[in-house]
Amino acid sequence: MVKHLGIVGAGTMGAGIAQLAALAGIEVSLYDINGTVLRQALERIKTGLKIGVEKGGLSENQTTEAFARVHPRTRLGELNHSEIVVEAVIEELRIKKDLFKHLEADTKPTTILASTTSSISITAIASATRHPENVVGLHFLNSPTSARLVEIVQAKQTSPESVQRSIDFTTQLHKIAVLVQDSPGFIVNRMVQPFYGEAIRILGERVADAGQIDRILRVLGGFDRGPFESMDAVGLDLCLSVTQSMHDQTFGEPRYRPHPIQKQMVESGMLGQKSGSGFYKHHENE
Amino acid sequence: MKRTRTIQKKKQTPKPGRSIEKAKPGRTTVYIIGDGPIVAEYVSLCSSHGFSTVFDFNTPPETVPSFDSGLVRKSAQIPRDAAFALELTNVDLERKRRNIEMLDRVLPATTAIASSSVTIAATEQASWIKHKYRLVGCCALPTLGQRPLIEIAPTVFSPAGTVQVVQRFFQSLGKEIELVQDRVGMVFPRILCGIINEAAFALQDEIASPRDIDTAMQLGASWPVGPIVMADRIGLEQVYAVLAALHNDLGEDRYRVAPLLKQMAVSGTWWHRTLALSEERQPL
Repeated sequence: MVKHLGIVGAGTMGAGIAQLAALAGIEVSLYDINGTVLRQALERIKTGLKIGVEKGGLSENQTTEAFARVHPRTRLGELNHSEIVVEAVIEELRIKKDLFKHLEADTKPTTILASTTSSISITAIASATRHPENVVGLHFLNSPTSARLVEIVQAKQTSPESVQRSIDFTTQLHKIAVLVQDSPGFIVNRMVQPFYGEAIRILGERVADAGQIDRILRVLGGFDRGPFESMDAVGLDLCLSVTQSMHDQTFGEPRYRPHPIQKQMVESGMLGQKSGSGFYKHHENE
Repeated sequence: MKRTRTIQKKKQTPKPGRSIEKAKPGRTTVYIIGDGPIVAEYVSLCSSHGFSTVFDFNTPPETVPSFDSGLVRKSAQIPRDAAFALELTNVDLERKRRNIEMLDRVLPATTAIASSSVTIAATEQASWIKHKYRLVGCCALPTLGQRPLIEIAPTVFSPAGTVQVVQRFFQSLGKEIELVQDRVGMVFPRILCGIINEAAFALQDEIASPRDIDTAMQLGASWPVGPIVMADRIGLEQVYAVLAALHNDLGEDRYRVAPLLKQMAVSGTWWHRTLALSEERQPL
């Protein structure tokens, strides 16, 4: 059982994981280089816990205790008690490598160093450390507090023991873990490629329009949302960047080749719900 | 017989908007032929909606399903009074061609044929026959017969009249219609089989276990079921037929079939390494 968790990066992901862990009875050291971000994260956690009370299931007592378990930190060295440190910083390999090198120096030799990246090779991050067998990927889906799934990513160097400890940790957080070997897109982002990519091609070839394709997928396939509704919700820029990254990482695998329609939509600023229009108009934002 | 010949003679030069006989429950015979599971679905569906249903399988399944409706009859002979025909073959396209040519020869010229155009475009199918105007493509894959929507693909030869008759027929079975362009894979099969192919590549590369792939997609993307269960439901033979047809039609590497999927489709079982990855996988 994990008693002390370190989290680096207090953005949405870091704060969400801190909230989850604190509720699971874990003492959380939440680090961010930026004091303002850290304060905002604490506010976000407080609000998140309040929603937990309003939606039922949590008592005032539980949330007060949980909030007291989140300790804001401004020095990496203060994470030294952690059995697991989870990194949730910007998606840039150089920064992550540098961070992992520092983390390794500041923590125990047995500490698991986990990255929440969705697009960077865990194997590459692990290569920066002297104990790469302790490095693992923990891909929490958005948002970490509500999504039930965590993808545990085993790098080329990750030891089976680290994998097992990661599985135990996610179970402690009441999440369901799936194990995936380090590879572009892991499972979820990889499997959605044909869902989005073929739909866009079908649209591009004028076989059917977006509304039809969505209806067909909903009614015939039983999907909650069709591909275009999903892409509008996720954001077309994010969809394009995931596809582009997978295409690059696989040295041009044609199954992951982005479509010009995606690029054109992003260039036009039609990014989906967040910009008011995408494949559909989202009137509430206009 | 005499009457049929007269009609055929009269309608040798089809005009757009020509009137194809309307299929109506209660007094219409529907003839269904094709691959086992889809035929069984449509036999149940048509008979439960009051159509007198005559059917045949390309290859009889090991256990021939029994239909407890007095409206259903299995026959190797195409009934000459059939007012609507469904050709539901996706896998053996030579057989499909023979079926369609036979239907065109035997059925009155006023009978519409709805033919699965998932693995071969409906227009190409229509080009095989004399009465080209009577054929319209439709999307038939196992389990989809039970869903309340169908994709319909008119051919370049289809007059509005034929399309309307086919639409009304499927509407009378309780289905919404989506008219799509006549392309191999149509909409749903192309996306669905693409997903299954991706899963097969992931399995083959030993990225994750079949169970974890399904769990990930259900919990991580809110999909109704994961790709492995999807493949089980549709049947790998059908999935392979769709993917091979897409690859052949579009000629892009993007559509190449995962070797594992092909092996599984032809052997009817899971590959041994996949089996080893999964504790409780049963052969299909």
